[in-house]
Amino acid sequence: MVISPELINLITGVISFLFTLLIFSYVLGDNPLFRIAVYIFVGVSSGYIAAVAWWQVIMPRLVYPAISAVNTGSSALMLELGLVLLGALMLLLFPHVTGLGRITLSFLVGVGAAVTLAGALTGTLIPQVMGSINAFDLNAASARNIGFMEAIFNGAIILVGTVLTLAYFHFGARPKADGSMHRLGLIEALAWGGRVFIGIALGVVFAGVYAAALTALIERISSLITFITGFLGNFL
Amino acid sequence: MRVITVFIAIISGLAVLSGYFLSGLFPVLTEVQTHLLNGAIILTGIAALVGIFNLISVHTDKVRRGEKGSVYSALLVISLVITFFLGIILRPEHDAMQVVMNGIVIPTEAALMGILTISLLYAAIRLLRRRVDMMSIIFLLTAVIILFGSATLPFGEIPLLGTFSRWVTQVWALGGVRGILIGVALGSLTTGLRVLFGADRPYGGN
Repeated sequence: MVISPELINLITGVISFLFTLLIFSYVLGDNPLFRIAVYIFVGVSSGYIAAVAWWQVIMPRLVYPAISAVNTGSSALMLELGLVLLGALMLLLFPHVTGLGRITLSFLVGVGAAVTLAGALTGTLIPQVMGSINAFDLNAASARNIGFMEAIFNGAIILVGTVLTLAYFHFGARPKADGSMHRLGLIEALAWGGRVFIGIALGVVFAGVYAAALTALIERISSLITFITGFLGNFL
Repeated sequence: MRVITVFIAIISGLAVLSGYFLSGLFPVLTEVQTHLLNGAIILTGIAALVGIFNLISVHTDKVRRGEKGSVYSALLVISLVITFFLGIILRPEHDAMQVVMNGIVIPTEAALMGILTISLLYAAIRLLRRRVDMMSIIFLLTAVIILFGSATLPFGEIPLLGTFSRWVTQVWALGGVRGILIGVALGSLTTGLRVLFGADRPYGGN
């Protein structure tokens, strides 16, 4: 049976309209309608993720290669897939961090730690340090019509902000004579400056999130109006 | 068991890590890394399924015991099972699954994001009422400057505010964000190294 695109659009529009109204009912306070929408949303999202994991990970990376290995008689591939299946079986039989499930989890944690480590180093640490250095690149600044003093001044603010913010996250402390723990006076002073930069950074992030939320709100209200006017237009 | 799990975590981690940094010297390490990452991706996919089945079992138990809010749990389980089987039978790119995605998931996410507008405004007002210190004033002042500096206002742009807000974003905020990012990266680096040295064992084994 082939469903026309118009009918699909209508069904999508009606469901979308209903769920938007149910979620917006939260403005009146936490209520059963809002909860119904949220629980269905969690169920549908989880089911969708499970289906995607099945069709985009398990089938192409495990099931199809296993069938191919059996057909071609590739022993190396069969051994590799056998090990993965054994790991999967352990995970299924011991879903909590117990028994043989720990073996599979230790493999996942080891690989995850290595990927995180390499990602943090090559994806964040080196590019951010290079970014701080390049802020003083006067040739690049002049190519963008930025003056010498302006480039040095802005680069210095960025560098000072980076150092002070890092100082704020330095939690090493020494015990004093009365037994209380305090940071070094210099670190404490630098951390105070770091708080200013963190406040500004979080303020910018807040403004960004607020602008995105406002855009989403306007889009939803606009979709509600479009649906109602379109629906009424069919009868008037 | 503890020795085996620590050994597996360290060996698999070092093999993947050496694939990133030593593959120029030993090209075979790239192949080893690819196989290990492929295995980890498959197991992560299976772990996601295990997690979702765990969600079903928790909510099914709630329904069976008739706990408070079990009606919502029943709705969650029914919607999850129907979506999962539809996805398995029809595949996620099928029109029916797109109706589910475009009719339920995306509008609900967008509407929840829209509700966040009110929650964030309320949180900002509470912050000003409960804690008026230098940090909260800088935070809210920056947010207001950025919002008004980037918004399209009916009477046009406020003189100099747009330029000033761009300068705050691209210079002052960049310094703070860069410090936070480097701090997070250093934290991730330390945690990764602790796992690879066997000092931290989140997979159990004290």
